[in-house]
Amino acid sequence: MKKYLKYIYLFAFITVAYILLPVMNADYLYTIQDNNVFINGRTFMMDTVQHGGGWGTWIACYLTQFFYYPWLGSTFLILLWVAIYWITIWMLGLSNKWSFLALIIPVLLLYHLLDYGYWIYYAKAPGFPFVLTIDAIFSLLFVWGGMSITRKWNVDFRLKGLFIIGVLAIIIVINDWLCPSSPWHFNYGPRGSIKTTLTDKNFRHELKMYRALDEFRFEDALKEMPTEQDAAPTNLMVLYKNIALMHTGQMDRMFETNNCGINPNTGDSLKIRTSLLGAPLIYYLFGQMNYSYRWAMENSVQYGLSFRSLKMMARTALFNQEFEVAAKYIAMLKNSTFHRKWAIEHEAWMMNSTYFIQSQEYQTLSPLLNEEGNVLDGDDGLCEQFLLEYFSDLNRANTPLLETVTLCMSLWAKDYYAYCVHFYDYVNNHPNNPIPVLYQEGAILLGNAEESPITLDQFRFDDLVAEKYNSFVQDYRQLQQQELDEKEIGKRLKPLYGNTYWWYYYFYNDFNIY
Amino acid sequence: MKLRNILSIVTIATLLASCGQHLTVPSDATMESRLPKIYPDYTEVTIPANICPLNFAVQEGETEAVARLTYPGGEFIYGEGQKVLIDEEEWKEVLRAAKGDAIKVEVFAKINGAWKGYQPFNIYVAEDSIDQFISYRAIQPSYVAYERLSINQRDLTNFDEREIYNNMSVSNEKVGQCINCHSYKNFKTDNMLFHMRQGYGGTMLVSNGELKKIDLKTDETLSAGVYPAWHPTHNYIAFSTNKTGQSFHTKDLNKIEVQDTESDLILYDVDKNEVSIISELDDELEVFPTWSPDGKKLYFCSAHFEYYNDSIEKSAEMIQRYTEVKYSLYSVDFNPDTKEFSNVEMVYDAASDSINQSVTLPRVSPDGRYLLFAQAEFGCFHVWHADADIYMMDLKTKEVQKLDAVNSDRSESYPTWSSNGRWIMVDSRRDDGNYTRPYIAYFDKQGKAHKAFMLPQKDPNYYTFYLRSFNRPEFMIEPVKITPQEFAQKAKEDAVPAKYAAQ
Repeated sequence: MKKYLKYIYLFAFITVAYILLPVMNADYLYTIQDNNVFINGRTFMMDTVQHGGGWGTWIACYLTQFFYYPWLGSTFLILLWVAIYWITIWMLGLSNKWSFLALIIPVLLLYHLLDYGYWIYYAKAPGFPFVLTIDAIFSLLFVWGGMSITRKWNVDFRLKGLFIIGVLAIIIVINDWLCPSSPWHFNYGPRGSIKTTLTDKNFRHELKMYRALDEFRFEDALKEMPTEQDAAPTNLMVLYKNIALMHTGQMDRMFETNNCGINPNTGDSLKIRTSLLGAPLIYYLFGQMNYSYRWAMENSVQYGLSFRSLKMMARTALFNQEFEVAAKYIAMLKNSTFHRKWAIEHEAWMMNSTYFIQSQEYQTLSPLLNEEGNVLDGDDGLCEQFLLEYFSDLNRANTPLLETVTLCMSLWAKDYYAYCVHFYDYVNNHPNNPIPVLYQEGAILLGNAEESPITLDQFRFDDLVAEKYNSFVQDYRQLQQQELDEKEIGKRLKPLYGNTYWWYYYFYNDFNIY
Repeated sequence: MKLRNILSIVTIATLLASCGQHLTVPSDATMESRLPKIYPDYTEVTIPANICPLNFAVQEGETEAVARLTYPGGEFIYGEGQKVLIDEEEWKEVLRAAKGDAIKVEVFAKINGAWKGYQPFNIYVAEDSIDQFISYRAIQPSYVAYERLSINQRDLTNFDEREIYNNMSVSNEKVGQCINCHSYKNFKTDNMLFHMRQGYGGTMLVSNGELKKIDLKTDETLSAGVYPAWHPTHNYIAFSTNKTGQSFHTKDLNKIEVQDTESDLILYDVDKNEVSIISELDDELEVFPTWSPDGKKLYFCSAHFEYYNDSIEKSAEMIQRYTEVKYSLYSVDFNPDTKEFSNVEMVYDAASDSINQSVTLPRVSPDGRYLLFAQAEFGCFHVWHADADIYMMDLKTKEVQKLDAVNSDRSESYPTWSSNGRWIMVDSRRDDGNYTRPYIAYFDKQGKAHKAFMLPQKDPNYYTFYLRSFNRPEFMIEPVKITPQEFAQKAKEDAVPAKYAAQ
């Protein structure tokens, strides 16, 4: 048995690594590669290798792209860790009994990879899952080589050690001299997020929802929303959910489907920004092509070029009919290993507008492309706030979808007057249609407010909605008379009215935009 | 015979065989009556007598291509897949022989197994050479964010390029650094500068070869120095001072507006380390100073803009009225000995009702005869304005003409002259509308600009995969001698504050 100990240790490590990587964290790994980039060819190579540690980064970027298939990338990574294990055993001459010590470095590297959590969006080191592993292998081989060279030298072992360290120091100094722009960002960020990676359900839901929206699988995105019994969703999940509802014709159900988000749990180490986590896609799915392009560009500048940014820039350029710049991004993606198919498909859209017009993306987003004028403004990095204000203030919604979006966004933003304008427009445009329940809820609530701009007598509301509102008001007053605080009242009213706009309006006041 | 010997013989034989191989042009090609599609477009351009090879790619679909370059005294044939990559030594021979004459280029492309020939075109080789170096800022065309920026210098006679300074050499995760506005005195690098903003902020100033770091912001001035102009004969630099903001279009493909809510002009005396005001008129946005070659006149742009809404901030009002901001071109006389400015004169009233345009980035030719500038409908940041074009004023006749040979239907900006006045370089977004590339045009003795060509690269597909803009290209007759390490070392030191000298 002792004879096989080193194999048993290794097998156990490989098993744990596979479980923790592709089995449990496939979306995490996929997102890492999506935020990474590797373009075949000289330009990308030269751009990468000219900086300190550039060759290691270039190799790391190459390998990271294999997380497109999480099991494949994991296999490469685990194979390198196996190599570290064997090199360590050979170098130190570890016996079977002590061979588990050779797993220290691979275990630390596994821990390091899982320790990113939300930092996967902020990590500035290209190819970071592989960089330290490659560095570790080169360092081990260097020391091993040094030991081999000095083995026959008849000097004290401390002198041999000094020699090896000296050579290493000279290499580092020369490297720093040749490449003054050393990649300080390799060490960017305090992480300490392994708990987020392994246990935060919302973090995982966000990863899945992003990918589903990116691939226009809106129903799949909706499936990721937790039910009432589960933990509350993050604000980003709520935004993703509402986008999915919008594109499945159900946006007026937004307050029935858990619209009360919380901030992500990231501790003090990180200030999460929607602009980085999803703004390019969010703006894109709202038809805001310029802002989508802008954030894809900004993020690629600040946090490194990525497949994700390249694809967003290509898509928005296609919608803006900026075909030459779209061609540029598509040409780059065509020179990637796993995004080539996507690039060829989108290139076809560029070459043949019929394909583009028939595409799901165009069919889905074109009703949002309001042709009415241009606004010069800014979002101050707060994507959600900008969208709420932009659509609340939008005049002349010229498609049914835009009509819905303006109504829902003004309710979501609790913007009285904007809602009134949109509500009147809606009713005037559809005199013979029944008014959806959500719009009735909004109108009744505002119609009963002091100095209301809505005169309810003009409209015919469903009896059920009107009765439910009266009942809500009655219950609310009763609980107020019991001198309960608002939080407690909200809690007690939630089972009956939690799916109404009224409950959202009165009891959800923690709307934090980030 | 041992295996090693056999391998050696085979290798040597292969090498010898490859040395003896020559490309030929196909004799069975069917001829097309049009020019070939090549990238970059070098058809019918005029080039300097000392430029690097004009490598290009043939864009006739998935193809294999060859090109025959015929020059007085010989010919060369090149082809490597779709690319035509010219040997550097042979190219020098071609340029020597074709100086003042032309190189005839015949392109052949193999499409679906059959060769096609295209209408030949000429590349004209001027008698005049070009300054050996240019420098530019390599920057992604982002909006607010910045990270990796460098100022690079490129040798135009070959493909060598190196960094003058890279902001990452001093940046860290907490302190980012923006670098901009590299500028040289009389095309030489013993007197040069560039600015650093945010982390380790200050102006890196090289004066007579000595590197200094200066803080040009004083209590009496609007900001630190921004757009610079070295005085040609004295040790002065004119700068604008600006309060600048950015805002973003939701639909307009110009995407962004960069606006000055306030701006003035200052003069910096390098020897005395003193800043003084040139112009700080209320309701005037003065910017983009540039000297006449004799140093007795300062040209600048200025927009008359009155804020009339006290209830909102200036920046908010500027956003509302951004299309009303139109810059005209002015000059002011200068006495270098007394440092006195006098007699402000309107040179080109671009903002007038009849013209209704906005002029930026003026540059006077080294002989003082012509003045180049960028013009668009409004505003001061024409690199983002698709309608921006390069115009030229004949300072003798005051006649203004649009340089059609240099312009495209996309943004052209940052015009500049070579030291001999025979070459114009501009930043153009003609390729894709988003990334600026340097284009060079011959300017002949008759005052005529010729078709502009893109800065050549070793790999013709370089620009396709290069995601940075070439910002503010400037000619230099010599390389920057201070190393990036020396700049980085100085960058970490505190900036010496400039003194304010009241006029």
